[in-house]
Amino acid sequence: MPIEFEHVSYIYSDGTPFRYVALSDVNLNIEEGKMTAVIGRTGSGKSTLVQHLNALLLPSEGKVKVLDRVIEAGSKPKQLKSLRGQVGLVFQFPEYQLFEETVLKDVAFGPKNFGVSEADAAEKARKALKLVGLDESYEQRSPLELSGGQKRRVAIAGILAMDPSVIVLDEPTAGLDPQGTVDMMKLFRELNKKHGKTILIVTHDMEQVFTFCDNVIVMENGKPRISATVGEFFKDSSLCREMDILPPALIRMKDALREKGFRFDGNVNDMNALAGAIVKQVKKHG
Amino acid sequence: MGNITLGRYIPLDSPVHKLDPRAKIMAMLLVLVAIFFPAGWLGYGIIFLAVSFMIILSKLSFNFIWKSMKPMMFMMFFLFIINCLVLKTGTPLLTIGKFAIYSDAVKQTLYIVVRLLLMIMITTCLTATTKPLDLTLGIEDLLSPFGKIGVPSHEIAMLISIALRFIPDLIDETQRIIKAQESRGVDLKEGKIMERIMAVLSLIVPLFVSAFQRAEDLANAMEARGYAPGEPRTRYKVLKMRRSDWLLLLGAALLLAGMIFLAFFA
Repeated sequence: MPIEFEHVSYIYSDGTPFRYVALSDVNLNIEEGKMTAVIGRTGSGKSTLVQHLNALLLPSEGKVKVLDRVIEAGSKPKQLKSLRGQVGLVFQFPEYQLFEETVLKDVAFGPKNFGVSEADAAEKARKALKLVGLDESYEQRSPLELSGGQKRRVAIAGILAMDPSVIVLDEPTAGLDPQGTVDMMKLFRELNKKHGKTILIVTHDMEQVFTFCDNVIVMENGKPRISATVGEFFKDSSLCREMDILPPALIRMKDALREKGFRFDGNVNDMNALAGAIVKQVKKHG
Repeated sequence: MGNITLGRYIPLDSPVHKLDPRAKIMAMLLVLVAIFFPAGWLGYGIIFLAVSFMIILSKLSFNFIWKSMKPMMFMMFFLFIINCLVLKTGTPLLTIGKFAIYSDAVKQTLYIVVRLLLMIMITTCLTATTKPLDLTLGIEDLLSPFGKIGVPSHEIAMLISIALRFIPDLIDETQRIIKAQESRGVDLKEGKIMERIMAVLSLIVPLFVSAFQRAEDLANAMEARGYAPGEPRTRYKVLKMRRSDWLLLLGAALLLAGMIFLAFFA
């Protein structure tokens, strides 16, 4: 079941001088089982958009369909908790939500809130910690004494332990070191490929979008300006330039080579393929 | 959270906004004292006119002032009830069975209500036309003469301005943490006692952690730029009393003198 937005608007502080339209008439379809990137400038409505997915924000107008739920403007939906268990949302800088005495307890907090027994919650927490690359030695440590990157992993494990079928991540790699970033993105890709999770990821990093994601949504002034597959979006750099986005290095490289007379078909999407294509064409010219 | 008008600064371009904060604070204190003299309805009328003049001059809407008074309505109603139960002098106005409301109860309540309303008008006029930072600058200057008897005026002013600066940040932070924990299944509205305690705990601990973190960052940033409390400092903004500021003080002093006259000599 895909996620659908139908004519969704969201207005902050309506009826006060601080009124602010964050989303206006959004129509969107997010494919199930895919990894979708949401990009756009600061203030374009990305964070507001993703907070509709687990009903932290309820639409001011229109309706949102998530899994088997329909959330309509004006209605007061009940049992939001069950939805929040199915759609896991990881906020920006989630390390600030840690509060328990030990890492294990903190990760188990989510599942326990959704009615999982103490023992099962601990089991789920252990599994989630392993997924994010933290071994048993971390279980009994205080989450507050870990490094920034480790805290981030614990916080993400806290959502994974709930075993949601949709995972929404708001800039999960902001402030991580390059290796940590790649590890994190690989983890999300694996969750998507192996475990069939639908993943939505808000990011500013075009390399991540290009390398790891299937689809891309570009937000602009509270509206999705483009919703396309990554292949279509990065076919050449023209769409990126139009959106004022710096294209991934590989696309820029291809552009520069094209200018010098090289020709590439659509399948050249990684370093190896590019190197192969260059070698082939250079040899042909002898 | 966005609907609190009491104490909020409203950026407008008016002669009152341009006045020296020290003059405004002093004038406010003088008028507040004036209100407490039993100068009768004539006195309150004069003060009301004077304050209304200031509000019109400051371009604030009366609607805004009215909104800041609203939260006080409940308190005033409560006061009225207490007065009705306690004060049994004057002529009975309304009798319900054995219980009667006396004229003095109504009169006393009205006095207090009018005083409260005037006080809110004046303080709102001050806080709405003066930036919080200017306000603390003014307080610092006014407190500095007490430095001789050991009042750390600069430290007090710095404390106030830092506290004011952190309020919106902490409100944002709280809302962010609430959302993050709600995403983890925390239910702040329903649940058993133990669950509720856990829910509150899951908000308070991260909030404290981040507040301490922010405080430490700020302290480091201040120290890195050479801040040391108690050292002589120059100011970016130098306050200067102008003719209009002295006029305001003179007006406030006259008002106070007038009230004293009305209360004791008229």
